[in-house]
Amino acid sequence: MPSFDIHAFFKQFLYDPENPLLFNNGFFVFFFAVFIGLYYYFRNHYRARSYIFCFFSLYFFYKASNEFVLLVVLSAVVDYYLSNTIYKTQDRATKKGLLVLSIIYNLGLLVYFKYTNFFITTANDAFNAGFNPLNVLLPVGISFYTFENISYTVDVYRGHFVPVKKFTDYLLFLSFFPKLVMGPIVRAHDFIPQISQPYQITETDFAKGFYLIISGLFKKLIISDYLTLNYVNYIFDDPSRYTGLENLFAVYGYAIVIYCDFSGYSDVAIGIARWLGFHIPTNFLSPYQSHTITDFWRRWHISLSSWLKDYLYIPLGGNRKATFGTYFFTALIFASSLLVTTHALSLSITTGLVISFSILLLFILPSIIQKNLSGVSTNLNLMTTMFLGGFWHGASWNFIVWGGLHGIALAVHKIWMMLTGKAFKRFNDRRWYKAIMIFITFHFVCYCWIFFKAADFTTANNMIHQITHDFSLTVWDGFYSNYKYVLWMMLLAAVLHAIPDNYADKIIERFPKIPMVAYLVIFFAFVLLYGAFKSAEPVMPIYLQF
Amino acid sequence: MNSNRRVLAFVLSSTAILLLTSFLTELFHYKSSIPLNNINLIADILKKDPAVTDDDSLGADPPAIEIVEKARENFFLYRQGHIITDFNTDTTDPSLSRFLQKLHALKSGKKGKVRIAYFGDSMIEGDLLTQTLRKLLQQVFGGSGVGFVPVTSQVAQFRQTVTDNFSDGWEDANFKSGNSKHLFFSGHLFRTSGASVQMIDHTVTDTAAIIEKSILCGHVPRQVNITVNGASFTLNPDKAFNRITLHNDRSKGIKVAVANDQLPVYGISFETTSGIIVDNFSFRGITGIEWAGVDSSFLESVEENNPYDLIILQYGVNLLFRPNDKNFSWYAKSMLPVIRKFRNCFKETDLIIVSTADRAFRYGSQYRSATGIDSLIKVQAALAFETNSCFYNQFETMGGTNSIVEWAGRKPPLANKDYVHPNHKGAEVLATYFFEAMMKDYEKYVQSLK
Repeated sequence: MPSFDIHAFFKQFLYDPENPLLFNNGFFVFFFAVFIGLYYYFRNHYRARSYIFCFFSLYFFYKASNEFVLLVVLSAVVDYYLSNTIYKTQDRATKKGLLVLSIIYNLGLLVYFKYTNFFITTANDAFNAGFNPLNVLLPVGISFYTFENISYTVDVYRGHFVPVKKFTDYLLFLSFFPKLVMGPIVRAHDFIPQISQPYQITETDFAKGFYLIISGLFKKLIISDYLTLNYVNYIFDDPSRYTGLENLFAVYGYAIVIYCDFSGYSDVAIGIARWLGFHIPTNFLSPYQSHTITDFWRRWHISLSSWLKDYLYIPLGGNRKATFGTYFFTALIFASSLLVTTHALSLSITTGLVISFSILLLFILPSIIQKNLSGVSTNLNLMTTMFLGGFWHGASWNFIVWGGLHGIALAVHKIWMMLTGKAFKRFNDRRWYKAIMIFITFHFVCYCWIFFKAADFTTANNMIHQITHDFSLTVWDGFYSNYKYVLWMMLLAAVLHAIPDNYADKIIERFPKIPMVAYLVIFFAFVLLYGAFKSAEPVMPIYLQF
Repeated sequence: MNSNRRVLAFVLSSTAILLLTSFLTELFHYKSSIPLNNINLIADILKKDPAVTDDDSLGADPPAIEIVEKARENFFLYRQGHIITDFNTDTTDPSLSRFLQKLHALKSGKKGKVRIAYFGDSMIEGDLLTQTLRKLLQQVFGGSGVGFVPVTSQVAQFRQTVTDNFSDGWEDANFKSGNSKHLFFSGHLFRTSGASVQMIDHTVTDTAAIIEKSILCGHVPRQVNITVNGASFTLNPDKAFNRITLHNDRSKGIKVAVANDQLPVYGISFETTSGIIVDNFSFRGITGIEWAGVDSSFLESVEENNPYDLIILQYGVNLLFRPNDKNFSWYAKSMLPVIRKFRNCFKETDLIIVSTADRAFRYGSQYRSATGIDSLIKVQAALAFETNSCFYNQFETMGGTNSIVEWAGRKPPLANKDYVHPNHKGAEVLATYFFEAMMKDYEKYVQSLK
């Protein structure tokens, strides 16, 4: 008969590097139950409520990343102070100086923790610099809260927003636990006013929150984890061992995995926030339903694209003008493109130059077609935004290439629209045309995912080689019989993705008040399913050809 | 209408029900219901009863090989990593004496070929492991050339030590397609009426080296004309297994076209007239018992015309294809005659059985070494012991239990996330360990001469 272990009990409250806190930890269940109890009890004492929320958020942060919790507190202190000073200062030059300081501080944190090793290894590869890598650990959530800090200070500087009076309000905005690990990126002007609202939620909020949490967990813990562990990892680790068919399905599988992971987490965050009376805007809108690449970026990680638009693209000059930043980043991208082609892809200098110039030309082409020179800066700014947006996702050339490919596709789409806009007007809205366009867009996005996921360019190239040179349907029978559960899971994911986004809302509208028992039954069905998948016998890779 | 109460009610009641189920699961040891065990909220804060062993399957069958130690023999030496053992209790004695004698002759300046056959499965595919071993051995004992290369293979495009461009039209007979009587060590036999193959060896660093390029082929009762680098070349493949030198010059490449499907072609070998040759013989998915189908008379012809000084057999990972298999006595029974056959056909050749490397499965939510790995390694060691072969414990050498999990988790990783295959870097590590074990044995030999 097992007995209570007091030592193990107390250890549960401490950070465990093997088991950092996530929404699917057993510990989170207790954490959330205690939190919600206190939050509800103090619902009408706004101050106490906000302190409790702050405490739980920081504790969550500690359980997820140990001492890095101090970094978020320090960040909050610095930005709270700077933004308030910017607000009070009348002198424009001082205001600007403080803003620059805040941006340098935040980007400095991000660059130090996320990109130090990247710059060191790049310097070593390109110039034989011989620096030792530092192996800096990446603090959880830093990519998100540094961006939130920047947008907040910029909004205050622009006069769009009066800075918060209470430090804890700012700290809560930054550390709000539902969105801490994987976003979405929240804007202060959306979020902060909600802190001092009464804890008021409608039956629809409750139902929608429940739906978002369960469907988000389903996407993350069941679909994504199952496909990753039982299929996608095998193939991406060593594509050359597998046939073209397996590689192609691994790319489709990864497209599902990255979407389910990212949007699943966002959905849980938005759902929990909704239960606590906070509205956070949608982050993903069935992105693989997009019929153009431009459309894709309106549906994929919306909080990031809109952040990049407001705080990178527009300050660069947007579609109005070219600034110093436009030329600076264009030169930088040109140099990086040369570096990637000549070093990472081992092409000759001439080929590198041809590719780099072609990329530049692509971005300038629409303006040449329209004979409108001011359009040049628009496109250069767009290119910069996409390259840097790619780089935000991770410190490696793969992500820069990924962002670059999307940037190029956006430019190509613009040119395509100019060339075909009038001619194709007759059938632009036809179903068959849209279906073809969705197919093409999805496959282009998948192609880019190869670079996003593969460990390096060699792996990515091997994968593309297998798909283009070793593709045969004769292995289908063996493939299906080994991976049938994986394939059915992918089909399920595809079907779920094809459902229109407002379908759940319509269903919820039709049932004004669903009894509590129904919620509990659904929840426990999910928990049992999760348990069953956790213990499911793993699918093992096999060889289809000898 | 404020529904915030509903949030509270839902969270508290679902937590309470989860807790209750967890208590009940613990209380009644409800083991059969695995889904419930996986969502247990209190398992981490309970003192566990000492683990109940469910090892009843182990040793239920009498072992297929009974270990009878003679004087100065210790079977349990197999448990040690980093050494090649012949189970001799005097561990200062070298294990591979015949092979080491030949190495020593090379090192002392005598001319001659010392040929090593490294057999394996997907673990050594694409010249993984062997490419490093070959390089290290050639650095010390001389020789160059990549050795044997099959006409085609699934991983030909990715093998870094050789470029292998083959045209369509090679018909491939192998273990998976039936009749294996005359399959060479690669497990393949190719025929064609009109296809060609072009190979370039990338391992040769010495531009002055004379590389002997030979075709390895089977028997045809009359002369056969083939095309070598565009010129006609007459073969006389009158033995069951033939090794016919086509060119002997500084070129590192060769192109061969065959227009007669009577000729069984195995591949091309690149080697110098003196030094170490390491042939990689990988066949994905096999366990070694497949060699039972190959004719003894054919193997004797290989021994006569393409003799080997050391044979290394590295199998095992494909026996661990189910997470809970623990009984491998069937394997001992099937593999014993195979190793005996090799020993009989290659009487003068030393043989090493290399154990499986670590492989892990997901048990619950954690990856751990296959539960049967210890019993498999014991069976593999028993096979070596019984046939007077040597044994090398690769599992222990790479770090023992859960080492593959650790390798896959390292940054940069040494193994793939299938928890089976060490990657390029990992294979280099394994090869270096193996080379070091060989050199340790070699040092013992040199000491024994003094």
